[in-house]
Amino acid sequence: MVIRALYKVFRNPAYVALSLFTGAVVFAFAVWLPNIRLIAAVLGSPEASFAQKLALPISLLGSIATNFTLLSASYTVAIAVLFGINLAMVAYFVRHRVAAARQSGIAVGFLGLGSGILGTGCAACGSFLLMNGLTFAGASGALVFLPLGGAEFGVLGTVLLAVSIYLTAKRIQNPAVCGVNR
Amino acid sequence: MTSQNNLFIPLAIVIAGALIAGAVYLGQRGDASGVTSPTEAWQEEARLAAALENMAPVTAADHIRGSTEAPVKIVEYSDFECPFCKSFHPTMQRVMEEYGDRVAWVYRHFPLDQIHPKADKEAEATECANELGGTDAFWKYTDRLFEVTPSNNNLDPAELPRIAQYIGLATQQFNECLSSGRHAQHVEDDTQNALATGGNGTPWSIIVAADGTKYPLSGAQPYESLKQLIELALKGK
Repeated sequence: MVIRALYKVFRNPAYVALSLFTGAVVFAFAVWLPNIRLIAAVLGSPEASFAQKLALPISLLGSIATNFTLLSASYTVAIAVLFGINLAMVAYFVRHRVAAARQSGIAVGFLGLGSGILGTGCAACGSFLLMNGLTFAGASGALVFLPLGGAEFGVLGTVLLAVSIYLTAKRIQNPAVCGVNR
Repeated sequence: MTSQNNLFIPLAIVIAGALIAGAVYLGQRGDASGVTSPTEAWQEEARLAAALENMAPVTAADHIRGSTEAPVKIVEYSDFECPFCKSFHPTMQRVMEEYGDRVAWVYRHFPLDQIHPKADKEAEATECANELGGTDAFWKYTDRLFEVTPSNNNLDPAELPRIAQYIGLATQQFNECLSSGRHAQHVEDDTQNALATGGNGTPWSIIVAADGTKYPLSGAQPYESLKQLIELALKGK
């Protein structure tokens, strides 16, 4: 069912493009997250040439290999890919059945992305978003009690996005029609 | 297909983008209320930029690899039990090989004792090496410690005197220094300074150009990124 729904959506190149674009944006954001301030500083620096302004963000994408564990890199890529697919499917669904949109897995998908963002960087020492939030709550030591040190959020995000894709595929494959009274 | 329906794709992209940006922004601010004005946001950005100015000046008391007169200084706040610090160490060694006297590597302690309780004592151990053998011993000890630690708080504390012996220090004196805890305050001061500069994870580095411009670099970033920043900082002569 999921495969058939994917085929239905992605035979239109516009949805392939949307999915790739969204996935790339999510991936870049996740990888740049710890250095957003640096990127902003370099982009705004009069000292930096155009080539440098371009080269730094591109080179920072390489941190997926240096600043992530195998697990965190895996779910970061998975979240980006799944979110791209999810968004394209939701867009397809919304375009074809606006009235039933609220019933789709869109909320689950956004929850998945949110959870994934929390998990991003958790494997890095000190973590990023999650640690900041926990520090604010005075409970950063709580990470010690998570078996995967916060990567649970990334894994949860991946699962939620997969569930969202499944729910959306189900909606796409089951036309929202009125039943016939017999 | 109606034109109204055609609007849903860009709308969906905008919603997703707004959600991501919102999550990132709230995460960076650590603000539970989620409500902010543009003025507050600007003030927060200004505060983060100003935090870099809290970096303690580089002095002769620092552990410096390379020339103290180098136009570019990389001040690294690091944790010996952090696996990313371990992987970033060879990157910094490569920087020193490539840039020689044009870059100075300043090492400061930032042990995250909530997740790596052993890192504090390991930082003190490097200070003991410095006390007994000077800057050269400090760097030899640091290089060796990163080499042997499995990271994530897994180094056997018995390795500390073994490393001292390995680099040619007197083990008895080293043990006496380590058990005295006399360098604990130094480690704590470095840690507090890292926090004051806005560090919230390790490795946390600040690249200082000759004109004083500071570039914050969070995490074990690839050599290419570091190279880009060094080249930019060298331009600021």
